[in-house]
Amino acid sequence: MGEHLRCQDIQVSFGGVRACNNLSLTVPRGKIIGLIGPNGAGKTTLFNVLSRFQSYDAGDVYFEGKLANDRMPHHMVSMGMARTFQNINLFKDQTTLQNIMTGAHGQIGNPISAMCWLPAARRRERQIEDYAIHVADMLNLTPELENEVGNLPYGHQKRVELARALASRPSMLLLDEPVAGCNDSETQELKELVFKVNREMGVTVLLVEHDMSMVMEVCDFIYVINFGANLAMGTPGEVRANKDVIAAYLGEDDD
Amino acid sequence: MSKVPITKAASNNLESSPKYAPVRALKQRYTRQNLIAVAILVALAILIPLLPQVKGWMLSQVSLVIIYIIAAMGVAVLVGFTGLVSVGHGGFLAIGAYTSALLTKYFGVDLIIGLISAMFVSAFLGALLAVVFVRLSGAFMAIGTLGFAFFVGTVVNNVSIFEGRDGIFLDNNVILGIRIEDFGFYYTSVASLLLVTLAVYCLVNSGTGRAFMALRDSENAAKASGVNRLLYRVLAFAISAGITGIAGALNAHVVNYVSAEVYADIWYSVDILIAVVVGGPAILFGPYLGGIFVVMLPFFLERLADFSFILKGVVLIAVLRFAPAGVGELILRPLRIARRRKLRSVAAGLRESEVG
Ligand SMILES: Nc1ncnc2c1ncn2[C@@H]1O[C@H](COP(=O)(O)OP(=O)(O)O)[C@@H](O)[C@H]1O
Ligand SMILES: [Mg+2]
Repeated sequence: MGEHLRCQDIQVSFGGVRACNNLSLTVPRGKIIGLIGPNGAGKTTLFNVLSRFQSYDAGDVYFEGKLANDRMPHHMVSMGMARTFQNINLFKDQTTLQNIMTGAHGQIGNPISAMCWLPAARRRERQIEDYAIHVADMLNLTPELENEVGNLPYGHQKRVELARALASRPSMLLLDEPVAGCNDSETQELKELVFKVNREMGVTVLLVEHDMSMVMEVCDFIYVINFGANLAMGTPGEVRANKDVIAAYLGEDDD
Repeated sequence: MSKVPITKAASNNLESSPKYAPVRALKQRYTRQNLIAVAILVALAILIPLLPQVKGWMLSQVSLVIIYIIAAMGVAVLVGFTGLVSVGHGGFLAIGAYTSALLTKYFGVDLIIGLISAMFVSAFLGALLAVVFVRLSGAFMAIGTLGFAFFVGTVVNNVSIFEGRDGIFLDNNVILGIRIEDFGFYYTSVASLLLVTLAVYCLVNSGTGRAFMALRDSENAAKASGVNRLLYRVLAFAISAGITGIAGALNAHVVNYVSAEVYADIWYSVDILIAVVVGGPAILFGPYLGGIFVVMLPFFLERLADFSFILKGVVLIAVLRFAPAGVGELILRPLRIARRRKLRSVAAGLRESEVG
């Protein structure tokens, strides 16, 4: 199926801290790929590099076969990459519907005709709204559509963020700890959702997650990193049996 | 659940969700109510000059209020909806004023052409300023825009075509070959305000407005939504400056005189910002309230002109302290809360109706 996203020898330093030290990974199209590692391993930093929120000292990022080193976050979104954040980033004073619709920004067309309410722009606007409602429905957010998201419980906010990402109609989703802070039933729900997004919509997923049961269950292939460097990779079964991985996780307090 | 098409090509014929229809209907009802409110305001504006007391100087004062509201509307686009500060919109007022003044005086163009040109010239310079200021935010943006207003003030004071403090006297206003007097000018201002209000309404209820508000509310979330920060900042500055430019042009023609005496005054810029903050920057009618407040205040304190300056400050502090979203929010809050609650309950009912 070919590669969808690849990064090569990524290096990022924050002062003296080497957050990424020659990190490389490849995400094949249509798969669910896991990215795991102890706290502070550099997972979020790598996500920020891949979505071009973070600059890096060395290395290359390729998305859809194109070198993306000089791209900005909004370029990545228009090329089909959508992401969520470990610490939620939403428009808190806006409603769920407004948040999701903003995620469909790439579909508003020319901003001048959009703001002038030209007929074609109004049609697009209607389609954006319809799709936002559709996505909300899929994530069980319909009753919250007119609620300001700042008032929603944590688990709901996580789902609104996911809905916003889906509203951009991505070909690839980057999820940074989507079930952190969620209860068991919410986690189960999200697991099914990731499957659905991948299997039914054909979206490639790159998943950072601390919940091992989820990672092992949904991922086709897993990359393990530690101290900003590649530690191991393989199928869930292989990773679970890997001695380095066990050692790395034993060294960590149960977070 | 049926398969949801995800690729851009496949999915533009998605059926509109019938489930959401009740919420949509309710929103349409609220929009109609808003339009009725606007219609009433417009009717009022049309009727004001028919009062026997309102003529001559008094009428031009009312025109000035209208002009102030337009200028504040421009600032609100930036401050309220995009979250950028400007303490320099007096500069765009001046640019609009001199553009239209010079064009009507030396090229004999129609007032309408003068207004439109003022809008475009001001919008263009606004866009340019946004590009220059692209890395600034917060206090630095405030200082930068203030510097811009100083710069414009210095230029009109010293470059000879602007005639400095002697000022430029303009001929009578002409629209479509017809000379217009106080009444005609007043209605021109009202029409401009109506058009600007409609334009801002359309803007904030469009994908473009959503992008502005996205930049205002969360830079990260805006980026993740694919909003091009530079493009939308430039656009916001251009629209904002364009609207204030129209106000500037009207301001020149209401008294048929432009002078650096007025436009080199930095307090002009501050006053507009105060009007916006007091009225409510993110509310469509905030500038109306703020504009009336700022223009009418010295009028009511005629013999205490210095005192009006202090009072303005006191009111500003009180508003920031007790109604940070503006006086408009205070007035509209009950209505907004009632509507929100209704919308929420209808939306919440959607879940049950599916089960039942
Ligand atoms: N903005 C930043 N400034 C300084 N240090 C940072 C910053 N972001 C991350 N780090 C450091 O980089 C390392 C990797 O962090 P992060 O990518 O968040 O890890 P993970 O997501 O795997 O838990 C940590 O040591 C963290 O303290
Ligand atoms: Mg992290």
